[in-house]
Amino acid sequence: MSGKAIGLLKRIHIRLKLNSIQNVITLSFTSVMLLAMLIVSISLYHLFSDSAERNAVTSTQQIIDQVSLNLNSYIAEMMEISDIIRSNLRSDTHEKDNLSDILNVTAKIRKDIVTVIVYTQKGDVIISNPTGAYNNSFEVITQDWFIELLNNPDGFIFLSPHVQRFFEDSHPWVVSLCRGVTCYENEEPVVLVTVVDMNFSTIEQMCNNVSLGKRGYIYIIDEYGNMVYHPQQQMIYAGLKTENAIDALTREPGSYFDDHTGEKRIMTVKDVGHSGWKIVGISYVDELVANRKYFNGFILLITLFAIAFEILASFFISAKISRPIKLLETQMKRLETGDFDISVEVKGEGEVKQLSKAFNIMVARIKMLMEQIITEQEEKRKSELKALQAQINPHFLYNTLDSIIWMNENENYEGVSVMVAALARLFRISLSRGNEIISIGDELEHVKSYLTIQKVRYGDKFDYSIDADSTLLSRKTLKLILQPIIENAIHHGVSPLNEKGIIKISVSSESDKILFQVSDNGYGITPEILSELLVQESTSYHGSDSSGVGLKNVNERIKLCYGEEYGLEILSEVDVGTTVNIRIPYNGL
Amino acid sequence: MRLIKNISCITALLILITFISGCLGNSIMKSEDQIHIEVIVKNRIAPFWTVVEMGAIAAGREFGVNIHFDGPTDEKDIEEQINMVQRAIDLKADAIVLAACDSEELVDIAHEALSKKIPVITIDSGINSQKVKSFIGTDNVGAGEKLGQALVNKVGDSCKIVVMSFVKGAASCDQREEGLFKTLDMYEDIQIVDIIYCNSDVDTAENLTVEIIEKYSDIDAIVGLNAYGTTGAAKAIIEQNKVGTIKIIGFDSTPEEVRYLERDIIQSLVVQNPFSMGYLGVKYAFDAIKNEKIPNIVDTGSTVIDKDSMFYIENQKLVFPFTDGLSDPTVIP
Repeated sequence: MSGKAIGLLKRIHIRLKLNSIQNVITLSFTSVMLLAMLIVSISLYHLFSDSAERNAVTSTQQIIDQVSLNLNSYIAEMMEISDIIRSNLRSDTHEKDNLSDILNVTAKIRKDIVTVIVYTQKGDVIISNPTGAYNNSFEVITQDWFIELLNNPDGFIFLSPHVQRFFEDSHPWVVSLCRGVTCYENEEPVVLVTVVDMNFSTIEQMCNNVSLGKRGYIYIIDEYGNMVYHPQQQMIYAGLKTENAIDALTREPGSYFDDHTGEKRIMTVKDVGHSGWKIVGISYVDELVANRKYFNGFILLITLFAIAFEILASFFISAKISRPIKLLETQMKRLETGDFDISVEVKGEGEVKQLSKAFNIMVARIKMLMEQIITEQEEKRKSELKALQAQINPHFLYNTLDSIIWMNENENYEGVSVMVAALARLFRISLSRGNEIISIGDELEHVKSYLTIQKVRYGDKFDYSIDADSTLLSRKTLKLILQPIIENAIHHGVSPLNEKGIIKISVSSESDKILFQVSDNGYGITPEILSELLVQESTSYHGSDSSGVGLKNVNERIKLCYGEEYGLEILSEVDVGTTVNIRIPYNGL
Repeated sequence: MRLIKNISCITALLILITFISGCLGNSIMKSEDQIHIEVIVKNRIAPFWTVVEMGAIAAGREFGVNIHFDGPTDEKDIEEQINMVQRAIDLKADAIVLAACDSEELVDIAHEALSKKIPVITIDSGINSQKVKSFIGTDNVGAGEKLGQALVNKVGDSCKIVVMSFVKGAASCDQREEGLFKTLDMYEDIQIVDIIYCNSDVDTAENLTVEIIEKYSDIDAIVGLNAYGTTGAAKAIIEQNKVGTIKIIGFDSTPEEVRYLERDIIQSLVVQNPFSMGYLGVKYAFDAIKNEKIPNIVDTGSTVIDKDSMFYIENQKLVFPFTDGLSDPTVIP
């Protein structure tokens, strides 16, 4: 498994070669886009979280303002209720029945009012709603608030949550509004104290009906930092939860960060009218963070998609750019191997098109130059060969002339005229007005002249016969192809022999070729020499009569002129003789 | 071309991972909603335990877990409580908060719950097990000592008393006795005439008290070790017209006891913090489910109150369970 994985990794590594144009483009595209995307994401994130925090603070403040407004009007209502009672008490004590009616109605309408009770300054109950068995053990005149109100009858006191003790066996938790009222009984001022006890239902409703996020909440403290209302009042009372009430107490209205519970929270403080209470709104920063997390996830998802898309896009773009270049590259590789028959059809972008056009032109030029070089070389060799074949070995001429002189001195004039005629024919055909191509008849004539001269010189050491198909005599051949072969046959074949040598020359047709055959009955050629004969320059033998043109040259000239399938073929057997076949096309030039 | 394949594969993978993680996150959230904690107490209808229930429910609401509150209607019904724990195990509760009726009998069933990876948190009355690690409740020895001190304060350091205990063998009972005797040992003139067990039954306590009053006419005080004993003793004292002559120092703050306290029938009470027991029981059970470390012993505290101090603002909170005023549990129907 791991081996496979490593193999795969290696393959990927190879595939992701960093130096290819495509990957360079892909990588640089990706990194640039990534950077851009990161910057955008981060700035979006900051923008969002900042505004989210500001919004949270603002909306919390608005909510707290609303609650404060409601609470104010609630307290004002309570004040009004106690005002009605007070004005009633002030007017006439005889209207007590009327008062109890009012209290009854109030109690029926207002479910949040637990008890309304009026005390004399001695602590006796004048009237209460509901009525019941008063708790004898509860002495109201010992209570601090009662004493304070007696001294200051026009004031009012809010009592924070406490257990009501007016009645026996009934101890509900209440918040109280206590007020004094000065009445006149027999012209004497008498202070009465009214107490309105409220349960928490209305306050709770006001505080619970608003939402400060999932976990946020509102609590109310009094001017001493006592908890008036808290959604988890039980827990506060059991000491399981604490609030930073003292901190909230010292704060001016506004929003603050609070980490009292170790969590980052926003604390919004607001005063409630004349009760001296403060509303404190708590909202959790991590809820914003939760929102933020959602937003983060969203951004992350978008970013991932964008990156994936972008990688694909940049891959395709880079592929589009690099494909023609790659095509060009493969074609250049072919060029490296020497294949010039290529032309690139590139449809890519302007630059690449230009490049491939230039490439095509270059290839064409190179091809042309190469061809030119080849023809030039061929021409050069041809002219070289021409020069070679045109050249007359001075020794041959000298020897021949020497023989003529010798014959002349012996007064063999007939011989002289034969020799001179043969020599003249030899040269005439050899020059043949500069033509490369002559008729086979002329070629045979040339050979005959040569053989005539040589025969005289070698003193009948050999005989020769020429057997030519007469229909072939008018056909054309490259000139001077037989003479070097015959020269060889004389020098290497028949001249070393003791007996008389015979050289047979024949011309025949062989399907679409013409076959010249020169055979002798000489010593033959050993296979070692035979194999080198057509490869080496014929420098091995520089006899006095050598025309200087080797078998190789003849062979090459034929091949150069007619093609590879034509040329020399040497068959030899030691002590038997040698046969040289020369093939040229039937329809030669 | 292979590069294209590779890249598309990676892209697909990335998208897949994103979706899977999203789904996974959701499913984790879901499973937290369904956490179910079973709170099994000694007596599901007694006032003390209703306050425990209030605490448990408050915690349930705070942590977003389902609370099922249960318990026998009679504290001595150990069998029934064992059945309830068994039921909780069968229902695959995520945790059990237990106030054991008996510190020995409930051990086996608690161990069974633990063996099924259900954390067990004991409140108020623990069990004799090394495996059940967490106990939340009153330091009963300390509460017993406070009870003794309250006796000395209200009756004096030279008196004859009868101790009204409840169930011999219950952990809280033994520990309160231990604490009480620890304090009383310091006062050689305090004579413990008798120790009686009311089996956590008010009527039994009342009858026993009547017998005691007849048997020992010269006793100065009865010390009640739980709410039943204290209430029964108070009833007997009223019945026997011994109010004031025989003083009662008791335990807990049921509305009935509070009424007797207000009327000078009971002189002093040691009150516990049942709300905290319920709340913390659930809180630590929730922590245990989340594999967080929880403390071994949590003392929820106890306070001595009398007629006057019960209305001190800090004591009011303990004696009178806070309600929003719509219902008043302190009013006896």
